Amino acid sequence: FTPKDTSIHYYPSKHQSINGQILNMQSNTNRPQSSHTSTSWSSDSGEPCGTGNKWAPRLLKECARAISEKDSSKIHHLLWMLNELASPYGDFDQKLAAYFLQALFCKTTESGQRCFKTLTSVAEKSHSFDSARKLILKFQEVSPWTTFGHVASNGAILEALDGESKLHIIDISNTLCTQWPTLLEALATRTDETPHLKLTVVVTANIVRSVMKEIGQRMEKFARLMGVPFEFRVISVLNHLGELTKEGLGIQEDEAIAVNCIGALRRVEVEERGAVIQMFQSLRPKIVTIVEEEADFSSSRHDFVKCFEECLRFYTLYFEMLEESFVHTSNERLMLERECSRNIVRVLACDDINEGECERRERGSHWCERLKEAYSQVRFSDDVVDDVKALLKRYRTGWALVLPQGDDHHSSGIYLTWKEEPVVWASAWKP
Amino acid sequence: MTEEEFQNSFLENPIGGFNPPVVKKKRNLPGNPDPEAEVIALSPKTLMATNRFLCEICGKGFQRDQNLQLHRRGHNLPWKLKQRSTKEIKKRVYVCPEKACLHHHPSRALGDLTGIKKHFCRKHGEKKWKCEKCSKRYAVQSDCKAHTKTCGTKEYKCNCGTLFSRRDSFITHRAFCDALAEETARVSAACNNVAMDTLNYPFMGITLQEPSMAQHFSSIFKPISSNGETTIDKKQGLSLWMAQGSHHHDQISSNLQEIHQLGSVSSGSTYAEPIVLCSNIPPPSDSELNWVFGNKSSSINVHEELTSTSLPMTNVKETGTDQLASVPSLFSTQQQHSHITSAANMSATALLQKAAQIGATTTDPSFLGCFGLKCNSNQVQDANTYCGLFGSSTITNNIGSDVESSANDISTLNQMQLYPCKRRQIRRDDNSGGHTRDFLGVGVQATINQWMDLI
Repeated sequence: FTPKDTSIHYYPSKHQSINGQILNMQSNTNRPQSSHTSTSWSSDSGEPCGTGNKWAPRLLKECARAISEKDSSKIHHLLWMLNELASPYGDFDQKLAAYFLQALFCKTTESGQRCFKTLTSVAEKSHSFDSARKLILKFQEVSPWTTFGHVASNGAILEALDGESKLHIIDISNTLCTQWPTLLEALATRTDETPHLKLTVVVTANIVRSVMKEIGQRMEKFARLMGVPFEFRVISVLNHLGELTKEGLGIQEDEAIAVNCIGALRRVEVEERGAVIQMFQSLRPKIVTIVEEEADFSSSRHDFVKCFEECLRFYTLYFEMLEESFVHTSNERLMLERECSRNIVRVLACDDINEGECERRERGSHWCERLKEAYSQVRFSDDVVDDVKALLKRYRTGWALVLPQGDDHHSSGIYLTWKEEPVVWASAWKP
Repeated sequence: MTEEEFQNSFLENPIGGFNPPVVKKKRNLPGNPDPEAEVIALSPKTLMATNRFLCEICGKGFQRDQNLQLHRRGHNLPWKLKQRSTKEIKKRVYVCPEKACLHHHPSRALGDLTGIKKHFCRKHGEKKWKCEKCSKRYAVQSDCKAHTKTCGTKEYKCNCGTLFSRRDSFITHRAFCDALAEETARVSAACNNVAMDTLNYPFMGITLQEPSMAQHFSSIFKPISSNGETTIDKKQGLSLWMAQGSHHHDQISSNLQEIHQLGSVSSGSTYAEPIVLCSNIPPPSDSELNWVFGNKSSSINVHEELTSTSLPMTNVKETGTDQLASVPSLFSTQQQHSHITSAANMSATALLQKAAQIGATTTDPSFLGCFGLKCNSNQVQDANTYCGLFGSSTITNNIGSDVESSANDISTLNQMQLYPCKRRQIRRDDNSGGHTRDFLGVGVQATINQWMDLI
């Protein structure tokens, strides 16, 4: 990722600040005797949070290191400390500590799979159309995290399919169709001849499937209201997205196809991603829109510490964003944090088994490399870029759009940045 | 063009909610140009050019030569103002140079130079001007300026009462809002056979309104007398049909009229769903009647009889489809009474049967009292009891949410069933409609009796 100009650059991670007391631990990384370790620990154990914030990343990273070094006494001590200090209802550090502690604990005890399953089933039980809707709409109201990708993708889709009379969008996303009302409205108002729109939603998560029926009904009603001839279908695929076919998706010859993939590619097992991209190609789309979060949990997946640090970096950013976007007492924020905690467990403590939702993000540039094998990039038009910028203006400050420049290799797609850190990447492709 | 019209509709109706662009309006043709006028076709360059006349000293540009000449005086340069020619100036009209354009033909020429310039830029020009707030683009600067003045000041209000300042979040909210789900969406005219397996509208007859009609509700809930008369006439017909208790019929009809009134807010919308509800039944000639009579099984008699009396037929036609929306509400209260949860799934047959059943077994006013949900603010206390169905004391607003909550409020329903209808208090103050109007000239009593016999 090369930002547009030199005025935008990564700030060093805030969590690099050294906390004097905790630094003492560093001197013990030469595998000391356990007794030695414990004495040096006890001198510190009283005070980490006394020295203010940002203790959590320190402790967490130490623990991660300890785990990868299999230093069990250190692990135990750190886990104990974290446990004492952490709380999902506390301040920022406490929260961070709580959620990552859970993952570290699972990693140590090799109970990641079970934990993840439990967390997921708990979530599913309390999940309903109403709660899901409330959550996502509220999130979209306070943060452009998801709407950024929506506006960019819709713009690209509308432009690519302009003039077509039968549109068919294959939607593989995690945003519960909140992208489509504005597209429907645009189709109704901006084009002279309102085309027919068929929307085929591919569902990969159980938790989503249960609410899709209701969502479909709402979409259909809304399309009627808009006066757009509309058809809605849901296809369930648990794994192996790559196995979808043209026939399976009900694609007709006279339809203009768009594939819209938001937050979905990262759920595909890393080895299968190439196949899925090829599969999109087999559908002969006029445009493919890909939106993903900017983080790398893939290339480091065999290096626990590296993966951990990247995970910590990304989720720290995300949690900070949540904290600044929502009100302090927001229930929605809590729900989103919990969802993250599941994903953190998934990434850090579960081996990649074929159960879908692996959540291994890749950076935009990395996705570009994959996608360039099958597609050529489509630049977002000036109009679309303007629309996105206008969107960002409607939110609190801190958000910006960055158009990467530099060599061609990295120049496709646009980035959403928060406090100058790129967080979401959106791109468009054509065969 | 459509977009601007769309915008305009918002300006007219800022809190009116979302006006869906179902019909794309055509602009009215401008007045016919003067046949004697001289037709001028300017080149695109000329049309798009601004400030062609440049001062050689300072480079300042002017739109007209006259202005440049005046400016040259300031530089102490020789200047010459052209005199107006002595002969009559011939009227000029301008055509658009773009061949495919409507205004290319002399018969559609525009009479104003500024007008043709703006037209050309808008339609065929590059959109150079942009609104800062929403990034909307315009080719003509004045258009852009005009837009920026109002940009972001619009407010959008959903049926459920939530206000939005951002259009995109309003749209997204609307699509998922429960108020939308309970409405009858506008079905396209051709759609007469939608299979209604879910009756979301039931007694939420009131929420059948289009979004933009939400504000009308407050007017509906005003004292009946103020706006009762005008609309009452229309509703008589259905009330005839609905009236069951002979001795109460006038009161009932007035109650019903009020209900109809509630349901009649939207003008000209196709409540196809309630109508369609019965379309799977052997329809009489008029599909609008179907819902009223539509009946698969035993009540076929009723159906045929009623048809033969042609009782509501004419009335329905006269009064239009918009009332029908409310009538299902009457039935559905029955549903609610028996099975709240299955209300959504009862067919027209069952609805009618139930209605018939209850009508036959009892002239119990409480049943009819259900219809008396007037929410007539004159009788707020009682209205409240009855309005339990429609939402409690806050009658005038937040219809959607009230209805929503009351949908699950079985207890209020029971209340209504158990408590005797306080009929007197519900009767309208003004008695002009006290007698059911007899549109058919059949004789009110006779028709009522006929209907009663059928049950």
